[in-house]
Parts: sequence; C-alpha cells; structure tokens
Amino acid sequence: MIWAVLCFLLAFQGPSSEALRHMQAGTEAEKKRQFSVAITEFREVTRLEPTVPDGFVRLGQAFLENHDFGAAIPPLKQALKLSPELSAAHQLLGYALLAQGYAAEAVSHLQKTDDKAALGIAQLEAGQLPDAVVNLQAALANRPNDPDLLYYFGRASGLLSKQSIDTLLANYPDSARAHQAMAENYYVLRQMPQAEREFQEAIRLRPDTPRLHLELGLVYAGSSQWSKAEEAFRAETKMQPGNAEAAYQLGNALLQQGMMREARAELKRADTLQPEMPETLYSLGKAASLEGDAASAEKAWMKVIEIEKTSDLAAKAHFALAGLYRKQGKMEDAQREMTEFQRLQDTATRPEGPQKQ
Amino acid sequence: MHWLRWRCCSGLLALASVVTSSMPIFEVSLSRGLDFTHRNSPTPQKYLIETMGGGVALLDYNNDGLLDIFLVNSGRLTSPMQTPETFDRHDPLYWNRLYRQNRDGSFTDVTAAAGLSNAGDGNYGMGVAVGDYDNDGYPDLYVTSYGKNVLYHNNGDGTFTDVTAKAGVAGVGWSVSAGFFDYDNDGKLDLFVARYMEWDTKHSKTCGGEWHTYCPPEEFPATTNILYHNNGDGTFTDVSQRSGIAAKKGRALGVAFADYDDDGFTDIFVANDGMQQYLFHNNGNGTFTERGLEAGAALSEDGRRLSGMGVVFQDYDNDGRPDIIVTELPREIYGVYHNEGNGLFTYRSLEAGLGVLSSGSSGWGVGLEDFDNDGWKDLFVAQGHVLDNVEQIDPSLHYQELPLLAINQRGRFQKADAGVSSPWAARGAAFGDLNNDGREDVVMTVLGGHPQVFLNRGPKQHWLVVTLRGTSSNRDGLGARVRVNGQTRFATTAGSYLSASDKRLHFGLGSAETAKIEIAWPSGIHQTLNDVHADQFLEVREPERP
Repeated sequence: MIWAVLCFLLAFQGPSSEALRHMQAGTEAEKKRQFSVAITEFREVTRLEPTVPDGFVRLGQAFLENHDFGAAIPPLKQALKLSPELSAAHQLLGYALLAQGYAAEAVSHLQKTDDKAALGIAQLEAGQLPDAVVNLQAALANRPNDPDLLYYFGRASGLLSKQSIDTLLANYPDSARAHQAMAENYYVLRQMPQAEREFQEAIRLRPDTPRLHLELGLVYAGSSQWSKAEEAFRAETKMQPGNAEAAYQLGNALLQQGMMREARAELKRADTLQPEMPETLYSLGKAASLEGDAASAEKAWMKVIEIEKTSDLAAKAHFALAGLYRKQGKMEDAQREMTEFQRLQDTATRPEGPQKQ
Repeated sequence: MHWLRWRCCSGLLALASVVTSSMPIFEVSLSRGLDFTHRNSPTPQKYLIETMGGGVALLDYNNDGLLDIFLVNSGRLTSPMQTPETFDRHDPLYWNRLYRQNRDGSFTDVTAAAGLSNAGDGNYGMGVAVGDYDNDGYPDLYVTSYGKNVLYHNNGDGTFTDVTAKAGVAGVGWSVSAGFFDYDNDGKLDLFVARYMEWDTKHSKTCGGEWHTYCPPEEFPATTNILYHNNGDGTFTDVSQRSGIAAKKGRALGVAFADYDDDGFTDIFVANDGMQQYLFHNNGNGTFTERGLEAGAALSEDGRRLSGMGVVFQDYDNDGRPDIIVTELPREIYGVYHNEGNGLFTYRSLEAGLGVLSSGSSGWGVGLEDFDNDGWKDLFVAQGHVLDNVEQIDPSLHYQELPLLAINQRGRFQKADAGVSSPWAARGAAFGDLNNDGREDVVMTVLGGHPQVFLNRGPKQHWLVVTLRGTSSNRDGLGARVRVNGQTRFATTAGSYLSASDKRLHFGLGSAETAKIEIAWPSGIHQTLNDVHADQFLEVREPERP
C-alpha cells in the first residue's frame, strides 16, 4: 500500500528515467525479498534525485524490511526534511525509532499518522500509559482478535493500574484504599492470612466502603473458613442489600455449611436481584435439591443449561440432573443427562496441544 | 427467688453441657514400648513413594485377647536411585515392626522373634491387610509395597512364615491398600490389592516449576488392581482379568468392602486419586461390574473428579445400609455417598456437615466408629497434605494437620476435640479397642515419624463388642452384616488407608443395658440373639446349617 502511493508520487514529481529504472528494479527486488539488492537500487535513486523525498522513503522501507532498523532512520529523516508532512515517512520512521528503543521520539512521528496501534505501543513503551490505553483500545475496536494488540492493551492497562496503585500506596499508605489494594494483591497470590489482615485494616478505617466485606468473605471462602465467610458476606449484604453478588456468595457460604433453607432464601434473593445468572441458578438448584424440592432443582438446572449450553457449569447441571432423575427412578432421563455430561467433559478435557509437564 | 434459682441452675447446666462436649475424647501418647519410627527417606528427587507410606494394623496375632500393632516401614532411598532399584532394608531401622501388647498396656517389639524382620530389599513398604486366609484361627498378614508384596502366614505359635511364593500373591508394581474378603462366599478369604499407578524411580519427575515438588497422579499412567481367589490349599489364583476387575484402570489408593445392594455378595469400593471412584458390583458369579457413575458414587456433587485416598464403607446414619466416605485433598470436601437402598447413592457431604469440616484438609486413613458409645458412628480422619512444601505454594494449606474427630449427631458430623494440639503429616489409621474397656481407640501413623495412639477416655456408656466365629462362612465372618439395636456394621478389617482394623465389631449402646443382635452371615444364614447383656465381649458362633 505504502509502496503504491510512493510510486504514484514519484511519477507525479517527474524524476529522471534512470532514477525511475532504479526505482522499478528496487521494487522488483523487494518483491523477491532480495532486500540488499533493493537497498542498492533505492540508494541509487536517492543519489540521482537527492531532492525528491520518495527515494529516501523507499530506501528506509527497504532497510526496515531487512530488519536493519538503525540504518532506516537517516533516509527517513532526510525524506521528512524534504517533505515534513509526508505521512508514510512519519509512519516508517516511527516504526524504526520504536524498534531501536526511541519510543518517545517515535510517538511524535506516529501521532502524525492514523496508525493507532503503533502509536499506542510507542506510548506504552514511552510510559505514556493513559494515552496508550486510549489508542490501543481504538485499534482493538477495528481488530478485536489481534493477539498482539490484546497483549499490548493488557500490558498497558495493567501498568496503568499498577501506576495508580503505586501512587496510592506511596502517597496514602495508611488509607483504607491502600490496604484494600494490598489485600487484593495478597489474595491473587493466595497469601490469605496477609490478605485477611489488610482487608480487616481497610474495614477498620472505612467500614462503609462497598465490596470490602465481600472481598474479605472471598478470602475466607478461598481458605474454606465458611462461617467467617458467611459473616463477611452478611455484612456486605447488610450494607448493600441490592448487591446480587453478595447475596449469591452469602447463599453459597450457607450452602457449604449445610444450612440449606437459609442458603436457598439468599440464593433466591440473588436471583431476583440479578436474574438468569448461571452460577446463582446452579447453586439455587443445589439448595433446592438438598431441601428435597426436586421440581425447583430441575427447573433451575434446566435454566442453567439453556443459558450456558456447553460450559463447565452446563456440564455440572447435566450431572446434577442425572443424579436427580436417578433418584426419581427416571433412568432413561438420567442416562441422557449423564451422556451429555460425559460429552461435555470429553470436549473440555480433549488435549489441544502438548501435555503439561 | 425460685425464678432466680432456676436461672442459676439452668446456667450451670448449659455450662456443664458445653464442658462435656468440649472435653477431649482421646488421650494421645506414645505408648510404652512402641518405639517405631517410620522411615520414608525423602529425597530432592521427590519420588512419589516417599509421601505415600505408613500402613498400620491392629490384630491379635497370638490370640491372647489383646490387640497387637503391626507397623509397615518404607525403606531407604538413594538420591538419585540407581537402576535396578533396591531399597536397603537390612538395617533394622527400616524393618516393619510387630509390637505385642502386654497385660499392662505396654508393648514389646517381637518383630525378630515373630520372623517378620525380612522386610525385603526390593520393596519399599506401603500398607497391610489382615485376614485368616486359611481359617486356622490365627490372623495372617499381607504387606504391600512398591515392589513385591509379602504374605505372612501366622503359624499360631507367635511366628510367621513368608508364604508369598507358594501362595502366588507377590504382585508387581506399586501396591497400596489391600484387604481380605470372601467375594464368592465359599468360606475362604480372597484378597484384593489396590495399585496406585505405573511409576518407577527411573521415570519419576518433579512438578510445580520453581516449587520443585511431587507430581500429581495425572502425570503418570493408570494401572489395574489385582483380585486373588483363594483356592483353599494355601494358594491363590489371580482372577483380575476373568473377574472384570482388571477391565478398569485406575489410580487406586484405598479399598473397602460391603454388600451395598443387599444381594448377599460383597462389593468393592476403590478410592481413586484424581479421577472417578470405582464401585465394583459383585455379580454373584465370580465377576464384577464397575458401576460408580451409574450408582452415583463416582464423582462429587458437581461432577468433579476426586482425589480419593482413604475410604470407609459403613452405615453412618443407622438406616441399615452401608454408606461410603472418601477422604480427599483440600478444596474437594470429603465425599459422603449415602446409600439410598436401591443400588444408588446420593452425595451428601454438605448435609453431613463435611463442607465445613473438610474443605481445607487432606485426609488419608478414615474410620467410622462409635467413639462416644451413643449409638452413632463418629468419624476419625488422619490428615496432612501430600506436599511437604505446600505452605509455600498455598499458605492457606498445611503439610501437617490435626486429625479430624467429628461426632455424629444423628447423621450430621460436628467437630470435636481429639485431644491433640500438635499437627502431623498423618497417613494410616487403624481402629480397635486396645485396652478392652469397651471404647474404640485409634492408632495413627505419621509419615517419617512416630505412630500416635489415641486411647479413648470418652463418656462411660454401654457397649457391646461382637466377635464372629464363622463355620460355613469364613472363620472371622468377614462380610457379615451385624445389626445391634438399630445399628449396622459390616464385618471387615479393610478400609481406611493402607491399614487394617480390629476384626471385632464394636457397638455403642448408649443407655441400653441389653441388645438384640441380628447377623446375616456370608453363607446366607441369619441368626438372632435377644436380650444380650451390654458391656461384654461376645463371640457369636455361626449356627450349622439345618
């Protein structure tokens, strides 16, 4: 694309026939991926037409394709000296500078192009994180499944998040939010005692902060301390009676403790607050089944399958239904559900690559 | 005034009740003379066998009325192991040990005198099974290993003879739990050997990246279990193939027996690690069909695979049907499979209270015994994680744990004080009344450590201990279903993990001073005894066929 534009420009500016011949020879060599030949030809173009920027652009591009990024920079800079607004030169120079580690300089050139992806990457490398996130997000809107973009966007977002947290910790180390942030880190690292300590400190400082009790409850749940988890989830539901997640977690903690009736009531509340959540429906089915209400359990699990179809949760619902039907003596139905469960399990466990070591 | 007095007394009663329930049932000590140390020889290579051993058996090998203790040692590992593998067990430090119980409750090491010091250089010891395979009235020992298993015949004079070669039960590979039972009701005890996986030190590896730890079972191929049929002449025939047992490969660690569908033939439950559990239904014609999935006893409630390790196959809710409890790794919850009576099981871990009691623990040896003699079987689990560095990987888990003692409150278990404060990396557990006081005791093994004896000092309530004396059935009546005042036990020495328990059947009677005993013998004979006095050790002889 870039090369077609340049050929057009070159023809329009009327270079000598000898320069045009070298230009064509260079282009042919490039097509054959004979980059050193192309470089020689384009260098000849710049010698013959030292005031026309296009030869320098092609030369820079050939260096780039030959992965000789440092060598690409002088001809591209020369092209911009001759024609400061030449977008293709800005773009290629941006790439070359970025590849050589001059991210901040690359940003200034890439800003003059429409290449949001390259600009976002350059900004990420230059530490301009908020701008990087914006540009990478814009690029992702056009190429949502690009693994490179997904990677850079994830990295930029993560670093931005870390930057904010670092600022928080440095400037307000004794704030509730600082303790919350540290607690969340410990939780991710599964260092539950430390996570518990930090969450408790955050709660002590600002007990009315939403989600603090919920997250503390998750710490307890993660280390199977169900009665403490219940207490924390209960505190969250008291503070945020409209929070479906808190209601679900409380229901689940009650379920783990074998308190079926209370669990079911709380899960029903979660389902009312946020209907059609598969996790809630699955647990609701479980609580109903444990209470002996087979019809409600069946209804909840059927709903899970309707929503999820092939997920792990759907497999669990099929398995649960098989057990329920078996108990009711509906052996054909049980067998059907078990077959479906096994099919989903097989799909989930089918190896996709080399086995883990 | 009266109202105040009522308040005062009511408060005291409440306090008394709390104190009673929080009193430890067990007194835990290292019994005199029991100087055993389990040697597992951990290496930087993290050979899986290092973390799995520790069998224990409670048996009265000399028929003096006192339970003796047999402890399986593991062996010496080199770092790394050379090929061919050898485990030097000449050094007495690595012997298995037999401790005879003396009248004063102390123990004497009689290993050498009993002829049990030949632990075998090629073997790294694992577990033990006990059964009188030749019906001579003396319990025999079968010791499992990574390597060759050994059958010791009890000569009846305080000595044992290694009869493995003659009996043809050496097995190969990595055997773990084993048990004697009579699958064809011919009056002779057969032998089931659970095997873990296809593994050897040459093909061992470490896992966990920087944590450098033991690998999960999925890293190694599954293997088959072995069923030996007792020919009645001192020899056994490997019937694994023709019985259908070898049709299913698994990663077995525990095995337990009971007749779950009341068809008169003993079935087998195999606790598999990291995969579905196996319920081998005895077809009554010498073959078995694996029915775990269709019976609802193969996976968790959510259809997840379990890390099955130990297992007990007894009736926990006094409905007369044998239920299954499987011990597992943390985050899995010990599996309670309730027997519904129609060949089906339902997963009832949460209702049974084990969601709270077990989801952070790793369980191995397990038993359902009525420790407080109230007529409901309580739960004891030997606990401790597989990985010796698990705290580094997940600080919320622990390599060493306290054992779990959970009192059965009409089918729901509640944690109780086991009387210990130091955690261990426990493995095996065997159950029986060591001091014949009518209260069930426990011997628990510790990986690389000393065994712990849990002497029951629980409440004084009435009890009955039944010893079965088979005539048409096998001599110890293994496989019999015994009902006493509404409680049911299935006669077995197998179950738990790597361990064998007292063959006598213990029943707590609460306040009842008499009992009605109903026995369904493996021969098919039914026997009822009425108005049996409580608080006695009673031998019941199987009636002759009319």
